[in-house]
Amino acid sequence: METDAERELSSFPGGRGVLRGWCRKLAVLLTLLLAAVAIYLWARFGGDRPVVHEDIAEHFKYGSLGGERESGFPYWIWQALPSLCADKLPGEGYRSLGLLYEKDKDLPVGVSKRRVLGMDRVFLNCAVCHTNTVRETPQSEPELLLGMPANRFDVMGFQNFFFDCAQDSRFTPKRVIAEIERIGGEVDAIDRYVVYPLAVFLMQDRIRMLKARFAFAEREAAWGPGRVDTFNFAKAIFNFQMDRIPDKELAGASDFPSIWLQRPRKDAQMQLHWDGNNVKVEERNLSAAFGAGTTPPTIDHAALGRIEEWLLDLAPPSYPFAIDQERAGRGAQVYAAYCAGCHGASGRDFKGERVGQVTPIELIRTDRGRLDSYTYELAANQGQLYTGYEQYRFKNFRKTHGYANAPLDGIWLRAPYLHNGSVPTLRDLLEPAARRPKQFHRGYDVYDQAKVGFVSDVPAEGERRYFLYDTRVAGNGNGGHEGKLYGTELPPADKDALVEYMKTF
Amino acid sequence: MSGRVVQQRYGGVMEAVLTQPRKKRKLLLWLAVLVVLGILGGIFAWYKFFREVPQDPFDSPHERFKYGSLGGENEAGIPYWIFIVLPRLFPEYLPGPGGYASLGVAWEQGMELPIGFTRKTVGFPRVSNNCAVCHTAAYRGNETENPTFVPTGPGHTMDVQGYFRFLTRCAKDPRFNGPNLMREIELVYDLPWIDALLYRFVIIPVVKKRLLEQEQLFAWMEHPELPGWSRGRDDPMNLTKYFMLRMPEDGTFGPADMPSIWNLNKYTQGMTMNWDGASYDPRTVLTDSALGIVVEPQDDFEEHMQWLEDYLRNLPPPKYPFPVDEKLAAAGLAVFERNCAGCHASERTGKPVPVQEVGTDRNRLESWNKEAAIAANKTVNRLGVKRTGMVEETLIGYIAVHLDGVWLRAPYLHNGSVPTLRAMLTPPTQRPKVFYRGYDLYDKADVGFVAQGAEAERLGVRFDTTQRANGNQGHDYGTALSPAEKNALIEFLKTM
Repeated sequence: METDAERELSSFPGGRGVLRGWCRKLAVLLTLLLAAVAIYLWARFGGDRPVVHEDIAEHFKYGSLGGERESGFPYWIWQALPSLCADKLPGEGYRSLGLLYEKDKDLPVGVSKRRVLGMDRVFLNCAVCHTNTVRETPQSEPELLLGMPANRFDVMGFQNFFFDCAQDSRFTPKRVIAEIERIGGEVDAIDRYVVYPLAVFLMQDRIRMLKARFAFAEREAAWGPGRVDTFNFAKAIFNFQMDRIPDKELAGASDFPSIWLQRPRKDAQMQLHWDGNNVKVEERNLSAAFGAGTTPPTIDHAALGRIEEWLLDLAPPSYPFAIDQERAGRGAQVYAAYCAGCHGASGRDFKGERVGQVTPIELIRTDRGRLDSYTYELAANQGQLYTGYEQYRFKNFRKTHGYANAPLDGIWLRAPYLHNGSVPTLRDLLEPAARRPKQFHRGYDVYDQAKVGFVSDVPAEGERRYFLYDTRVAGNGNGGHEGKLYGTELPPADKDALVEYMKTF
Repeated sequence: MSGRVVQQRYGGVMEAVLTQPRKKRKLLLWLAVLVVLGILGGIFAWYKFFREVPQDPFDSPHERFKYGSLGGENEAGIPYWIFIVLPRLFPEYLPGPGGYASLGVAWEQGMELPIGFTRKTVGFPRVSNNCAVCHTAAYRGNETENPTFVPTGPGHTMDVQGYFRFLTRCAKDPRFNGPNLMREIELVYDLPWIDALLYRFVIIPVVKKRLLEQEQLFAWMEHPELPGWSRGRDDPMNLTKYFMLRMPEDGTFGPADMPSIWNLNKYTQGMTMNWDGASYDPRTVLTDSALGIVVEPQDDFEEHMQWLEDYLRNLPPPKYPFPVDEKLAAAGLAVFERNCAGCHASERTGKPVPVQEVGTDRNRLESWNKEAAIAANKTVNRLGVKRTGMVEETLIGYIAVHLDGVWLRAPYLHNGSVPTLRAMLTPPTQRPKVFYRGYDLYDKADVGFVAQGAEAERLGVRFDTTQRANGNQGHDYGTALSPAEKNALIEFLKTM
């Protein structure tokens, strides 16, 4: 229908046509402009691309599991924080928290990068807790070994650093941007006025929430490097009322495990985790991946799958120092008599009637803290993890009442010993609890070939101080796994032989 | 509707439209577009809100009892993703750490929902309840053992009131809103965008409104002078009067234990059911209890009731799972026959004993009356559900109960005011005045659940027998037996 005005316009010679022409041109121009903006925005903020590493070891060290999507820090903020909040670190940079840098790398092992929302973002992967270094002497070059427990990494310190820095008055867009520019990051106008202000705000918001949910850690003694309270974190996923959790559940800090040779564990349906609360390797892995910031909707199953597959057969590195074969041979006999039934025929053959099964706490009598940190209530709730994704939904968590008998592959790299890392060396573990060290230092990577474990009497090296582990702190007890059955009453020569033999694992 | 039918139907319409004059044609075209849009909208709304997807079949009748829907999802269902995230957003409204587990639900490890919670898609996945939520017993033989669940046993750990209160308190919290709930849901599941929008703008606000409406229906149970229901109990007759019949408050308070519902074939002609004998037969009790959960019976409601009745009639009571001293038990049989059988294994069993005679707490009896029974029968008839009905008489006392599986039915008496069988055989003035209900560690010595000590206090709820309706007086039978006779009797009762 035509209005009067239109009719009038159209009565002018050329009037309506000219107007229409202009309108059309304007419309086309506007459309093009909008399209250009849209393309720019899409190019700038769209997409979701991890840094891909073809080599599986590189993927393990630096590959993304998807944790950046939900939990990632903008790359340049990650790089800027150590200098912005230098006083909140125990020393120089992330190194001082036990993160390991390879030569010429801008990110430490265990930190991955993915471009999401127009920004390179970084977060953690498996390697951060399952890689470490070993040195023969303080002067040797440290060797990076994948799959071993990250004895140097201080999770609690790492977490507190971010909590403290993000809540510090220095953590403002202006200061953050200035620091980024100072250390060489490029900041364009959109970054300056949109991206970083928003990122800083979101980080503050998110960290506030995480800090509230992880507040239980404030009630716990410092874990020290190489340890984490896994299942109180799991309770935090469900936002349990942590302030009402009884004290006996809050001493659950225990060692990172090694993660080699998963296939025999999987095939035998061994009870995994220190307390053997799950028999399914894949589920255990998804559970651990929560620690790498992944959530059910954001996890990269393909990326995790590559690692999972690789770990099935990844073997621990062989003991690189001298072994007294004759003595080890004698040790093999002692081992077969005392250890094999629970810990497997050897470092590669995990056969044995009780391997991978839980020994009741009344028998093993090691520290209860880790066992009590895991509860039936938590196990029940875990049935809801990955709900909606039925193939991945957790179906196998069970409350147990003891600790699992672990196979001993690569045991030489798994010091300190027992689930809570309360005994520094294998040789100490063969002593009755009363004669095991009451205090020792953790986090050093120089190897103790005599006692098998890491040198544990060095309090500092340069500016770096090593954590003083006190076995009298709740959850840190070094008792149990002792008595005739456990070899602590053997003659010293037999103990020495046994330790020599276990170097071959 | 197949494609061809659509073509035929709408082909004719299009032809008619095309032969009309231009203006009219335009109008009709618009109309047609509107109608099509309307139909599409209708289909969309039906699909997203009302489409019923039957539950997958269950492996066994036991599984069906535990997780099978009774149709409560339609009217009383909580949208699945809201159900999942509420404990994470509002943990402070639960009795303790542990999410829903802190309510004492019977939650099998590895399952996404506790026993008695059902999941069914009506437009979108929803969570409702069935009988098993209140009728699953939990016990542990020792502290280093996971709970064993016995479906159809009394849910002595379950905090029904706590669950009601939790939902209401969540709904009342201003943080119960679209953005907050969606933020938490996004951490758990990647909802398709259309469902995310529906959740944010329709489902979450509607659920909040419905829960707040319910709050008024539950106001009667929040009177400050009343003790809580405690674990394993509800106020069944007042639930019926106020929640189902919408009768005015009458000041009564009748909390009572969840009963076991196995072995219903024991109820024969002439017996009545409920603690006070208010109902004629199992079908009536099942129906009326289920209506409390389902609210609006669906087409298959009576089918469910029939299945349940058949299942429960023939289900044997569970055997005592710990060692029994057979010789002692045999001696106990004689004590039982002299002292107990007169009521609990005789003509009197399943029939009311005057309250003056048994002497137990009167509150439960007084919470029901003839008018309410008449009203209840009318209401259920109006819903079109068939059952024999409730007894339209003034009731005189409490039923002398059968003792099948009595080992798992602690605490004892209708109001659960006596923690163990041994305490039952103690003169009322010497029975425990205060104890803790809801802990599932079994007490093999006294027969019942451990009701004192640090863990009972942490996981259970304090029960004070001096509070209203909690009185532990009466049933003063067998309290004068010798200790040896009591031991023998208790041993025998384990075998029932």
